[in-house]
Amino acid sequence: MLIAASVGEDVFRAVLQGTPPGAVFALIALGFVLTYKTSGVFNLAFGAQAYVSAAMYFKAKVEWEWPTFWAFFISVVVLAPLIGLVLERVVFRHLRTASAIAKLVVAIGLTVAIPALFELIAGFEAVAGQTPEGILPDGARVFYDPFGVYPWSRNELAQMLVAITAMLLLGAMFRFTSVGLSMRAVVESPRLAELAGVNSNRISSLAWVVSSLFAGLAGVLIAPRFNTLSASDFFNIMVVAIAAAAIGKLVSLPWAVVGGFALGITISLFTTFLPRWSDSASWLRPFQENLTPALPFVVLFGIMVLWPSIRRSSESSDPLSGVDPPPPALASAVRSPRLTLATRVVGVALLGFLAYLVFATADVSWMFLVIQAVIMSTIFLSITVITGFAGQISLCQATFAAIGGFAVFQLADRWDIPVLLGALIGAAIAAVVGALLALPVLRLGGVWFAIATLAFAFFFDAVMIKFSWVGGGDTSLLQGTRVERPTMLGVDFNSDKSFLVLVIVVFIIVSLLVIRVREGTVGRTLQALRGSEAAAESIGVSPVSARVTAFALSASIAGLGGALLSIQQQNVNYAGNFSPFAGLFWTVLVVTLSARTIGGAVMAGISFGLFERAVLRNVFHLSGKWRFVLFGLAASQYARHPEGILEYGKRRSFGRLDALIDRMDPRSNTSEPGPPADPESTAASVEETADAPGANTEGTP
Amino acid sequence: MTALLEARGIEKDFRGIRALTAVDIAVGEGERVGLIGPNGAGKTTLFNCISGVLKPNDGVVLFGGNDIGSLAVNRRALLGIGRTFQRLELFNDSTVREHLLIAERVRLGTGSLWKDLIGLGRPTNDEIRVCDDMLEMLGLLEIRNEPIEALSLGQGRLVEVGRALMTRPRMLLLDEPSSGLDRAETAALARTLREVQERQRFAILLVEHDVELVADFTERCYVLDFGEVVASGPTAGVLADPIVRRAYLGDMDLT
Repeated sequence: MLIAASVGEDVFRAVLQGTPPGAVFALIALGFVLTYKTSGVFNLAFGAQAYVSAAMYFKAKVEWEWPTFWAFFISVVVLAPLIGLVLERVVFRHLRTASAIAKLVVAIGLTVAIPALFELIAGFEAVAGQTPEGILPDGARVFYDPFGVYPWSRNELAQMLVAITAMLLLGAMFRFTSVGLSMRAVVESPRLAELAGVNSNRISSLAWVVSSLFAGLAGVLIAPRFNTLSASDFFNIMVVAIAAAAIGKLVSLPWAVVGGFALGITISLFTTFLPRWSDSASWLRPFQENLTPALPFVVLFGIMVLWPSIRRSSESSDPLSGVDPPPPALASAVRSPRLTLATRVVGVALLGFLAYLVFATADVSWMFLVIQAVIMSTIFLSITVITGFAGQISLCQATFAAIGGFAVFQLADRWDIPVLLGALIGAAIAAVVGALLALPVLRLGGVWFAIATLAFAFFFDAVMIKFSWVGGGDTSLLQGTRVERPTMLGVDFNSDKSFLVLVIVVFIIVSLLVIRVREGTVGRTLQALRGSEAAAESIGVSPVSARVTAFALSASIAGLGGALLSIQQQNVNYAGNFSPFAGLFWTVLVVTLSARTIGGAVMAGISFGLFERAVLRNVFHLSGKWRFVLFGLAASQYARHPEGILEYGKRRSFGRLDALIDRMDPRSNTSEPGPPADPESTAASVEETADAPGANTEGTP
Repeated sequence: MTALLEARGIEKDFRGIRALTAVDIAVGEGERVGLIGPNGAGKTTLFNCISGVLKPNDGVVLFGGNDIGSLAVNRRALLGIGRTFQRLELFNDSTVREHLLIAERVRLGTGSLWKDLIGLGRPTNDEIRVCDDMLEMLGLLEIRNEPIEALSLGQGRLVEVGRALMTRPRMLLLDEPSSGLDRAETAALARTLREVQERQRFAILLVEHDVELVADFTERCYVLDFGEVVASGPTAGVLADPIVRRAYLGDMDLT
């Protein structure tokens, strides 16, 4: 009886302890569902918005020494809704008819851009050890213990009470105001609400304002739980909130709230009971450390995989969504042969000149960046495969790269396997992991695939790297994950120049293979699936096996690249290279530039490291953070140019060049009807095939 | 003679709304069968139950004597059920010939990632020849390298037919092939279809709104109304049936 009583007390204590964070999760989840249902945007950027409000509060309170009220006012009441309003008006309102995946890409871009932009504008720099303060004085030091079981700190009380009050106010607004009623109607059924004469633009703006306010509020409330403010922690919280929202199938506001509290409380139950049980059963010990932080990601992943109806219940609500024209043909497919020859000659000459520059003049730090750019280009080819060919957005490419890196480290460390062989084995391991991950997840498709891969990336981040057979465990915390440069056929790759040659060779081989895949069965099958899944199935294509193949291939390329990066840096350097947040930036970068061509991957590789040094710092004397802002914001072009801005620019300039060549070439002046990319001929063909889903409306300048 | 396709007792509900009630239809080898009925009669629902897009609540679908009720769309396709779409479903960024090439490759089942990687993934000369033969038969050879975006609707329909025929179907399901086409285009499509069908002897199940096309093209037909088969038999006789005329004329009275 005594034991039972104490267990009951422990449960009660865990519930009390889990309620405050649960309330904050619920707050973000609520805002997430609200925007998702009113505007169809899967807004991952709420995490970034929460961070901005928390950072603004910190800045005003600590640096400017404003009184708490005004600091709170500027960061939560003014800044948070303002960001929401701007995002809705400037970005998402124009994307109403875009596909769900395009909206997601834009939101991912914002997730990358917003924190960096704020830090640049406000001159904010998180300082390690400066713990954020709560909204009550002495928040972390004064406790209240109403039940004699668990003492709530003032910060926790504030989290709980303010979040619950905000949610009650929203409930009251829904119930008692006409605008609330309209909003509820839009959440229930946007189409019906619109038919009933509800101005959905206004409602959508309001939903963005309210949910951004909630995100900002949540950010300020939860900040004291972290030692240092960092955007990635808030992104983490965002993923927890998505898990909470997923409990309500992403469509139910009340269930999102329940989900938030349930996650908060379950996490604290785990922290209470797992250590105790693991004393009696030692096999539980790894779980004790790892399961708790991973819980939200496991829940999110599990819900999506085991409960596939989530997808149907919440498919994007706008009847017009997804009717945008498909991306136009690749520039290389429409330009004339003469121009192809010309661009190739120019390209080769340029590359030769660059190679000469690098090998003859680059110093150590430039060399580092050039090698990194080549390796990143290789890694980005993995995004070319999964996004460009298969049309899926994967957010765990950095995780596959990490698997490759860790494989090299482990194989060399334990069995003295040469690093280059280790890199190949690492690529194979990544392929297997990719295929295993793809099997349950690929059925989801679209946005759900992206979110499931994100959950996997966080799961790996929270759990797997702590295992000694993956990340090296405690030993590598002490000694690091050292990886040697190889020596092969008498060439010592400790020299950067020879290593550069090696990675260039690897890049060329991988890109040739990727081109072969594009022109072979797999590429054509994926192209068919991208064009029309229904039609592809009707000729016998199995969507699952084609996409599993693509995902495994993509994972292996990322794994190989990750291995090379670890060899280059002679260290796996997980936190610096392969965190989930890094993976997010990779995807934004490649998708924005061009996920469909080898050139896009190369440009992205160059932009990744070299752009910061060569352009931002040397030419414009700007902080490297601007690249996050530039590419993050450029992702908003994805909705209009899903082929990437690089492709778009190329096609336009090819069109002009072609026209120029035609004008200069007397033979083609009279007879030829004009270059294929000519806007007028394209426009004419649109009218003819207006009914065809393949109607190409690009090309109108 | 056992029928090639036999659907027996097909029932389908959409959230309590009855779309099909105890529908029985059969299509023999090489036969041209029509399926007509006014809007909302359940033609497309039945079509989807046969091709595997929808799972019926009750009833069996037999193809070549085997129950295919549990197979996915792509498995049924490999068994020999080809189809076209009412709204064109073409592969963007692909040329006309590429549509047929991928279908041929899938039918052969010889493609794999490994072959792609060692450079054997490109279309072989044999594959190109087979595709070009089909394109010639359909009168599409001239435009084989055109991107699909540049085609007219009628040409798009033919590309769909060609793509479906590359799978060497034993039965071709045509979903309202005349929709969006004018009289002349429809007639041309019907002529081409009949020529190809007479050469290759596959069965056709034609779901169609256009009674004239059905009368002209099919040997036998079924009439669906409110989810039930209200008439069946040789086309000419069925179309002369007063019940059928009422179903259609009743429709027209309303307009």
